[in-house]
Amino acid sequence: MSYETVLLRNVGVAGSQTLATYRARGGYQAAQKALTTMSIDDVVEEVKRANLRGRGGAGFPAGVKWTFLPKDRTVTYLCVNADESEPPTFSNRVLMEHDPHQLIEGIIIAGYATRATVAYIYMRAEFTEQFHILQKAIDEAYAANLLGKNILGGDYSLDCYIHRGGGAYVCGEETGLIESLEGKRGWPRIKPPFPAIEGLFRKPTVVNNVETLCNVPHIIERGADWFLGIGPEGSSGPKLFCVSGPVMRPGCYEWSMDITLRDLIEDKRFGGGMLPGRKVKAVFPGGISMGIVTGDELDMKMDFSDPGKYGLLGLGTAAAVVIDDSFDIRSVIRNVARFFSHESCGQCTQCREGTTWMYKMSDRLEAGLGRREDLDLLTEVSGNMGMMPGMSICGLSDGAAFAIKTIIKKFRGELEGYVGTENLDAVRIALEVVN
Amino acid sequence: MAKLIINGVETECRDGVPVLQAALEMGLDVPHYCYHPGLSIVASCRLCLMEMKMKHPKTGELSWSPKLVPSCQTPARDGMEVRFDSEPVKRNQRNCMEFFLLNHPLDCPVCDQAGECYLQDYSYKFGEPTSRMVDQKYVNPKKDLGPHTLLYQDRCVMCTRCVRFADEIAGTGELCVTNRGSRAEIDVFPGKVLANPLQGNVVDICPVGCLLDKDFLFKQRVWHLQSADSICPGCATGCAIRVDQNNNVIYRLKPRYNPGVNDWWMCDEGRYGWKYAQSGERLRGPLMRRGEAVEPLDWLAAAGTVRFRISEIATERGANSVAVVLSPFMACEEAWLLATTIRRIAPEATLVCGPAPMVDQDQFFPDGANGNAKFTISKEKAPNRRGVERIIAALGGNTATFAEFCTQGAEGKFAGVWLSGGYPTEWVDKDLIKAAEKIQFMVLHDLFSSKLVDAAEIILPACPFSERSGSFMNAGGKIQPFDWAVNPPDGGKRDGQYLQDLAEITGLYQPAAIRAMMARQMPEFKTIHEAPEQPAHQH
Repeated sequence: MSYETVLLRNVGVAGSQTLATYRARGGYQAAQKALTTMSIDDVVEEVKRANLRGRGGAGFPAGVKWTFLPKDRTVTYLCVNADESEPPTFSNRVLMEHDPHQLIEGIIIAGYATRATVAYIYMRAEFTEQFHILQKAIDEAYAANLLGKNILGGDYSLDCYIHRGGGAYVCGEETGLIESLEGKRGWPRIKPPFPAIEGLFRKPTVVNNVETLCNVPHIIERGADWFLGIGPEGSSGPKLFCVSGPVMRPGCYEWSMDITLRDLIEDKRFGGGMLPGRKVKAVFPGGISMGIVTGDELDMKMDFSDPGKYGLLGLGTAAAVVIDDSFDIRSVIRNVARFFSHESCGQCTQCREGTTWMYKMSDRLEAGLGRREDLDLLTEVSGNMGMMPGMSICGLSDGAAFAIKTIIKKFRGELEGYVGTENLDAVRIALEVVN
Repeated sequence: MAKLIINGVETECRDGVPVLQAALEMGLDVPHYCYHPGLSIVASCRLCLMEMKMKHPKTGELSWSPKLVPSCQTPARDGMEVRFDSEPVKRNQRNCMEFFLLNHPLDCPVCDQAGECYLQDYSYKFGEPTSRMVDQKYVNPKKDLGPHTLLYQDRCVMCTRCVRFADEIAGTGELCVTNRGSRAEIDVFPGKVLANPLQGNVVDICPVGCLLDKDFLFKQRVWHLQSADSICPGCATGCAIRVDQNNNVIYRLKPRYNPGVNDWWMCDEGRYGWKYAQSGERLRGPLMRRGEAVEPLDWLAAAGTVRFRISEIATERGANSVAVVLSPFMACEEAWLLATTIRRIAPEATLVCGPAPMVDQDQFFPDGANGNAKFTISKEKAPNRRGVERIIAALGGNTATFAEFCTQGAEGKFAGVWLSGGYPTEWVDKDLIKAAEKIQFMVLHDLFSSKLVDAAEIILPACPFSERSGSFMNAGGKIQPFDWAVNPPDGGKRDGQYLQDLAEITGLYQPAAIRAMMARQMPEFKTIHEAPEQPAHQH
């Protein structure tokens, strides 16, 4: 296995956050090329041909997304989704923290391709240090005429602002992000209209993830064919993977999407194996909302299509959190249920009530007060929510459903060993004592 | 018009209306909370989901899509086929009802909404009798949102109708949602209170017992109430309302759907402005002055006396010494009966329209601008000035404005006057008293006692709107019928009835029959504006 580092190539280089270093290492060549030698259509076509699939989780091709913008639009906004809030995910953070100019270059090219006049970076509330780094880089870019009026002496002008979020997971959903950016409660919007038609301030809007945009300069610089040559078909291009949990080397790594989950955990270049004496019990390979795989399913490829074969919702954020055999699966299910119950925005009934119900059940389960029917009930409740069956506006509850559903399905044996309370009154009395 | 198939039945509806609306108009009971035809669509309660036939992306074949879609968010299109009666749809409704009730207290016995609650109704019709949740319920707090409204968050279904109403109709936007998930709460923004002039509507549109009106709280179980369709007398807008009463006591007013006038709404001024109607201070009667004393009189004798005395004055003092002041609080039919009766006795009697109380300007909602106002509170605080003036104009002959009447009265022009009031508040001014002092024979037909009582020879108690029937002509020129809700207090009589008796027309007072007579002179009274019925399951 060999791989040339692309996205993280500046990480670890002294002064990687500065314009001078970024330029010295070949930065802003792509922006120069796009803005001075390529037409808008050329840029869109190149990215479309590269089949750059969105890195935020859903994997929708970015170039295709750009073509959904109405032809006769007068105002376009570009929103950069930097609300990285999926548990165990921190790849956007690494990109912004160590190589902010790469993102800015991506924004300039994407802005040019979409004819955006303003780019808003919607940044996770908890990113404090990263905010200052990125803001400093933006200031530098303005001073160097890479942002602002007539970028690089050409006709294209773009303003770029960072908007700091308020700390809600759901604001990473593109329309929740837009609502929040407008100063409203971050409740995802009903679609249609899609953001490309009516987005921010009811104007055509493109929302792209940080990592997606960081790929754009490289596609422009080296061409779509180079990009397509990396990794498996349908999942081409460089990709960042996060690995966390009881592994030797938790961190963010870059590779093509032909690696397996086992590589990510055990390979010396990545996770470096488990901590001494620990064994993989389960892994959430794509952020918790994609679902869980067991220690026997580590041969899953970390690309856009393979996770589906393991009953998962998708690749997600490609952030694997490893759970070792010292953990009780009940604490995992409770923790996951708690997260979604806390982060459900409260708009759609099934998600608002269902996530809380699942949390209450799993909490009780962990307390040793589980009933046999609770497992079926959890499965049923998780099956009664989600955007895919039509029960909710956004995908948050699909995530909640898949996480819970897959845990119950894959760890049913272990869970059944814990449930045994058949007497409802006993449960109630016990609960009153607990509460 | 779009032709679509709902539950296998072909139906027609206006293009682009939500399928949910089309289904409701067909008479189907499709459960829904967040959808309200007067508010924006959020499709968040997920209760109205339906199955829809969609084209297979590859084969192009039409088949039922496995994904349910919200019928409120889907515009009706020609050729569409949807269904609400399939198992997946019903299963979703069942699940939804279970979800809604997970943290809902079982406090129906003490909840004001019981009996008109869509959690009760839907639960009964679409839900399961038991919940599968054994865990403890969350209890969200109760809050006081403002002078009139309480919020029982534990009963909320998070439909956000109230929030959207404050944003989109009242335009004041003081309501918001705080917190997330099951802990989400409706609240007022910090430092604000829910006190906008339309706030009472949030209680009406709340489909459950979450938002409650302090004015009605714990006063009556709703199933004891009987309703009469009325028109709000508070201003010239003429909102269609419902008067809810039990045992002859009014408990509340509610708006009725009346497109183009008040849509689904009414203002607080009207909503709470009816208390005078049940005041113990109201004039009782009829009474007649004999020297220093005032003595009771029976209705028949009163009518006879009035007819005799007016005719006597017309003969003795000249036909133009008689005047009748019609009140803008009278129904058109009543004003017409009175004016024509007096004119029959004294053909040259002067017709006057009483003063309509005015404030500075109309109030437009949501943004204070007239152009696209969704609701208007008229500056004219009387329901029927236009109707009365229309009748005066149609009858012609001697007429005077109220100011002219006062001036000429003070000069001693009028010897016999019928003066109708009926105002909810003090309305008598110095000029009127000056004129009244010069009047030899005055019939005072009013709701409350005033200085005029001393000058009147015959005092007839008037009724408030809740005891009258007839029609009002509103600011937009619409003639809207209204019905009585309660009986006049002991010894009282409905104005229409005794004015008809005065006119010596036998039988019961029937506004429609009077209107038919009026229509000969005023064709606009042939067709009046009746507020349409909403579909049975619309709310």
